[in-house]
Amino acid sequence: MATSRSESRASLRKDGPGRRPPFRRVLIANRGEIAVRIIRACRELGIDAVAVYSDADASASHVRLADAAVRIGPAPPAESYLRIDAIVEAALASGAQAVHPGYGFLAERAAFARAVELAGLVFVGPPSTAIAALGDKLQARRTARDVGVPVVPGTLEPAPVDRPDQVAEIIAEAERIGFPMLVKAAAGGGGRGMRRVAGPAELPAALAAGSREAASAFGDGSVYLEREITPTRHIEVQLLGDVNGRVVALGERDCSLQRRHQKLVEEAPAPGLTTDERRALHDMAVRVASAAGLRNAATAEFLRSPDGAFYFLEVNTRLQVEHGVTELVTGIDIVCEQLRLAAGEPLAPAVLAAAERAAEPAGHAIEVRLSAEDPGRDFAPTPGRATRWRMPAGPGVRVDTGLEEGERVPPEYDNLVAKLMVHAGGRDAAIDRLIRSLDETEIAGIQTTLPFHRFVAGHPSFRAGRLSTDWVGEHWDGAAEFRGAARAAQLAGGLEALEDGIHDRPIGRPAAGGPAVGRAVPNPDGRWSRSGREAVVDRWPR
Amino acid sequence: MAALKGPGDRPGPPPTGPEPAPTSAGGYRAMDPRAVRATLGPPFAHAAVDPLVLEPPTIPLAPAPRAAGLGNLGGVSPSGDGPAGSVLRPASTGRGALESGIVLVDGEPVHARLVGRAGVRATLEIGQGDAIERHAVLLVEPPDAPAAPDGVRRREVVVGGWRVEVELESERRAALRERASQGRQAAVRGGPFEVRAIIPGRVVSLSIVAGDDVVAGQQLLVVEAMKMQNELRAPRDGHIDRVAVRAGETIEVGDLLLVIT
Repeated sequence: MATSRSESRASLRKDGPGRRPPFRRVLIANRGEIAVRIIRACRELGIDAVAVYSDADASASHVRLADAAVRIGPAPPAESYLRIDAIVEAALASGAQAVHPGYGFLAERAAFARAVELAGLVFVGPPSTAIAALGDKLQARRTARDVGVPVVPGTLEPAPVDRPDQVAEIIAEAERIGFPMLVKAAAGGGGRGMRRVAGPAELPAALAAGSREAASAFGDGSVYLEREITPTRHIEVQLLGDVNGRVVALGERDCSLQRRHQKLVEEAPAPGLTTDERRALHDMAVRVASAAGLRNAATAEFLRSPDGAFYFLEVNTRLQVEHGVTELVTGIDIVCEQLRLAAGEPLAPAVLAAAERAAEPAGHAIEVRLSAEDPGRDFAPTPGRATRWRMPAGPGVRVDTGLEEGERVPPEYDNLVAKLMVHAGGRDAAIDRLIRSLDETEIAGIQTTLPFHRFVAGHPSFRAGRLSTDWVGEHWDGAAEFRGAARAAQLAGGLEALEDGIHDRPIGRPAAGGPAVGRAVPNPDGRWSRSGREAVVDRWPR
Repeated sequence: MAALKGPGDRPGPPPTGPEPAPTSAGGYRAMDPRAVRATLGPPFAHAAVDPLVLEPPTIPLAPAPRAAGLGNLGGVSPSGDGPAGSVLRPASTGRGALESGIVLVDGEPVHARLVGRAGVRATLEIGQGDAIERHAVLLVEPPDAPAAPDGVRRREVVVGGWRVEVELESERRAALRERASQGRQAAVRGGPFEVRAIIPGRVVSLSIVAGDDVVAGQQLLVVEAMKMQNELRAPRDGHIDRVAVRAGETIEVGDLLLVIT
């Protein structure tokens, strides 16, 4: 089942004395850039990496880079990367000691963590109990309240759904919280089960609809109410915890630039915070995580209202897409630390030192997510083949990707194709570096979010740090940007055609050296004799 | 893209009759035979971007634009206020034609050139002096696209991360094609309908004279091209309003042959 190439490599590896890998072999239950990222960490630690793949990914980068690869099913995620049984079986069959879930797919399913634990393997992430406790957003909100961390104003118990007798009660509760508000799914994520409510009249219907959507998406129809804070900034804290129950914060990230709750640009540290604000924020995150029994890596998300107050939102019990910017600023390899922590090692001295410095970060890092989406058409997915794929390089540039030139972006999975990260001494220098890197990037064959990121990087309000979750809607007019580019493209293509002389040959006249003149050949289709009109219509393409 | 004017202000083709003498002001403007029309490919129809017509620069013969001090090499002044009424003729042919950095875009002179072409890479320069805009562009032959019709060049042009499929075609050919499809509609609708030559050749004989009534399919005239005799038949029932050619006359593609009402 597993095709192992590890023996030859292992003999070449020079493991220094006293450097024992945390595991001998780890299975990576993911694909794309994050699987590549984790395989790289495994290689550096001297761990054999086992990849899993669906039929759509048989020749993908993560399969090539791994020491062994196991096919787990056909292309649809539900039949491959979401199959807990197939992945646990692959891990056991390949002799892996641990399973790293990456992000997305099964990363935050407590059932998956439990299945891995029950199989006698190590789940590289928080224990299944912590995933379950923090995955229930209502429970997470109650935990935060219990340790004195402010939560977004709202309810702490499931709201009654389809209970006419309690409508007056919940509307009174809503009036107390304040409109506009959001109906959110307790088991939710990615905006599913979420409804915006502008006034009391809309509330009963929104509760019912949100609950129905949540039930179908997550199997749990519990919903709760939360005041909508707008404009707001989305700021999150990177956490690491060890088996001794010690949890530290590695600094925060600003992820305010979003579209429909999907992050587009992230940076570390969050611009405009004072050292005291940072310290307070990191402390709040550590308090919530410690109370929830967190281990390994997780991220506590907060909203920052315009008056500067922080409100706890939720904890993501996994490696985040945007972990790289924290790595660049702190110098800590979060994935390597995850593997060491999963093996039972305590927090490393380097991590503790980085946590000490977290409130006074040196340097600045920015990440943009290059996705196969059309920013001119409301970020619609654009799977296809990347016929040209040249990523930037040079000082302070990091690109995490699983795509290579000539490869297809399959329609079945996430649209993220590359994470471009830049690191510099300060935020201005990082933005300059981002602009330079984006200029170097060449992609053809698929439309990506590259033009959007060029727009953001060059925008004065981004440079001024005026970030909010409304930024994209307020500043980005994709259709207009596209039209401007289309004119330039027409001009460039036209100039090339003029230079090349695409029509040196006058229309309708045979080319020099073309068909021999002088020999009468019957009209092959007789269209001209049928009707001149028809011939015109048929001959000239429409 | 300030240097680029919006579309829609280009004079249309002549209504009827043989091509009039080229004029530089108003009405019909003689199109350089090398003119290229750049249209967005079918997948980009949603963007509703109008076609762009590019022509090599024309240079005035007389009087020479003394004020600019550029002699005959300066091309049309970018503001379009060149000497009125002067005869225009196409600049020299070949790659050198675009070295002046001026191109007519929908009839308006624009400073634009493609420099540093290397493989699929090039730089598009728009404007001049301090106001010059530079865009790194990729000009890629789309590999997966279905074969373009004869005479149409497809390009995937990448500008600023935007991927734009552009179809390049001779403006003459595009205009002819357009006229054909308009003609087809006219033929169905009724009303005056121009029959134009779709192949070059010599008119051998005419079977009708002005004033005749014809029925669809009736032979109208015979054109000899490449030693082949081609009959032209009536596209629909009607009345021959006008015959624009005589037997023995040489005709070019697009020439008006006759009008049916």
